[in-house]
Amino acid sequence: MNLAKEIGILLQKEIKIEWRQKHAIGGILLYVISTIFVVYSAIKSVDPNVWNALFWIVILFASVNALVKSFIQENSSRQLYYYTLANPTAIILAKIIYNSGLLLLLSLLSYGAFILFAGNPVKDIGQFFAAIFLGSLGFSITFTFIAAISAKANNSATLMAILSFPLVIPIILTLLKLSANALRLMQDTAIWKDILTLLAIDLLMIAMAFILFPFLWRD
Amino acid sequence: MRKYWWKYLGVALIVYSFTVGLLVPLKPGIYSYDPGSMNTGQTYTLSVTGYNTFYTKAKDPIRVWLKYDSIHNIVATKVKILDDRKLEASFQIPKYLPTNDRVGVMSLIVDDDHDGFAVMPSTIFIKQDSLDKNTQLGSVSWTQSKIQGIHGKDQFNFPFRVQLSETIRNLYYHVPFWFAMFIIFIAGISQSIQYLRTGNQEYDYKSMSFTMVGTIFGIIGLFTGMIWAKDTWGTYWSWQEVKMNMTAIALLIYLSYFILRQSFDDDERRAKISAVYSIFAFGAMIALLYVVPRMVSSLHPGSGGNPALGADDLDNSMRMVFYPAIIGWTLFGVWMTSLVYRMQVVRDKLYDL
Repeated sequence: MNLAKEIGILLQKEIKIEWRQKHAIGGILLYVISTIFVVYSAIKSVDPNVWNALFWIVILFASVNALVKSFIQENSSRQLYYYTLANPTAIILAKIIYNSGLLLLLSLLSYGAFILFAGNPVKDIGQFFAAIFLGSLGFSITFTFIAAISAKANNSATLMAILSFPLVIPIILTLLKLSANALRLMQDTAIWKDILTLLAIDLLMIAMAFILFPFLWRD
Repeated sequence: MRKYWWKYLGVALIVYSFTVGLLVPLKPGIYSYDPGSMNTGQTYTLSVTGYNTFYTKAKDPIRVWLKYDSIHNIVATKVKILDDRKLEASFQIPKYLPTNDRVGVMSLIVDDDHDGFAVMPSTIFIKQDSLDKNTQLGSVSWTQSKIQGIHGKDQFNFPFRVQLSETIRNLYYHVPFWFAMFIIFIAGISQSIQYLRTGNQEYDYKSMSFTMVGTIFGIIGLFTGMIWAKDTWGTYWSWQEVKMNMTAIALLIYLSYFILRQSFDDDERRAKISAVYSIFAFGAMIALLYVVPRMVSSLHPGSGGNPALGADDLDNSMRMVFYPAIIGWTLFGVWMTSLVYRMQVVRDKLYDL
């Protein structure tokens, strides 16, 4: 069985599991909306600067909450079963691709919720979507890998946050700059450099995850 | 003795860096001056305060210049020595500057045979109200004197910088900790990689010991830097300061590494997963090192027009203390690591009994 086919089957499995437990994704969506609601009823005035920061913070926390279950939703004996069948590279790749899609969907829906509750200060839609896409990719790689690590430990929810937040700082800083540019809070003519930086970080992280994941699952 | 030469070398280098770094005086320099701006065509008495100077011990008359560029300067008409650290120099500023700009920036040079010469670059502003149509006029009046017969002193001194003054010595205690920390962290990562390749428990303990010592060095580096920051930037913590926040993030990463280690009961599992995390975190740190400096400007030397460890800032006298200090602390860190490692091995054996 080649890698692409394996990934395809694993992806189907992920989607099926998600479909069977609709409460998980629904819960995350509700989490995003109630966070936005709480924050904006506390702040009231919506300044584009605040909008930008809040958007990414909400996405960050929602992503951690969405992805913490990546490796613990199925019990360990079933994990073992997958590991005997599939290639570890296929497993991590399928998880990352699936989680990227999930986060992309989540970010777009949050963006919709932000427009609904807080208005839409985005001036350059293309750039903003680029930021959302690359951001979901980066978050998904980092959080999926850390979820794999913390799933092996005892108190995984706390560990997930403390292990992953310092690691996503480079991604979130670049994202903030990129989306600040899309909101026209600043003007940068060389913004493609930041897009490239983000891409390079994503590539670096995925390469690390690739190399290290086979060591992680084998126990 | 032969086996442990590097431990003795490390301690010797640290002792050397402490004694020489703290005892060698700074070069005589100019601490302050008044007034800071002048107008053309008038006479001024410039009062100069020196640092580590002995003006009264000078045998030849002390000479003071205002220098515009390599050929244009004026010499003080009269220099009055008040005491070792204070003198007053009278200047007759010519009617025109040797430039068509409204303002000329002058460097102040004081030369005496006891202390050698001291330069305060680009400090005094001279304004001219009427622009001279013919720049020759200004040029002529500024080329009457020549800066020559400067007394160079070949003493072993550290350079004097007004903003830093004596805190310049912190270079030997703050910066070497960073260098040593990076070397030790990289050693720790290589041990992690070794562990993943061989699965030998010993490498896990080594990697953990290196990371622990590196973290301790990082914390010391952060605190010595904060003290320095309070003195030169006026605040212990600056959110504008990139390197500082980057360090804090790096320390967060490594502190969470220790939390991760605590949350396993099984030795092998702990070793494997913490090795994987430390390598992954190191990759993220590389991204951090690359990204963050591009986001905001830094107050540290080497960015935003601040001088770095170039020829100008780290002169040979400082290199003679700075580099040995780096080597000394690295060796000392390796020694500390070996102690932590041995303690870990002993603890392991005790628990196994």
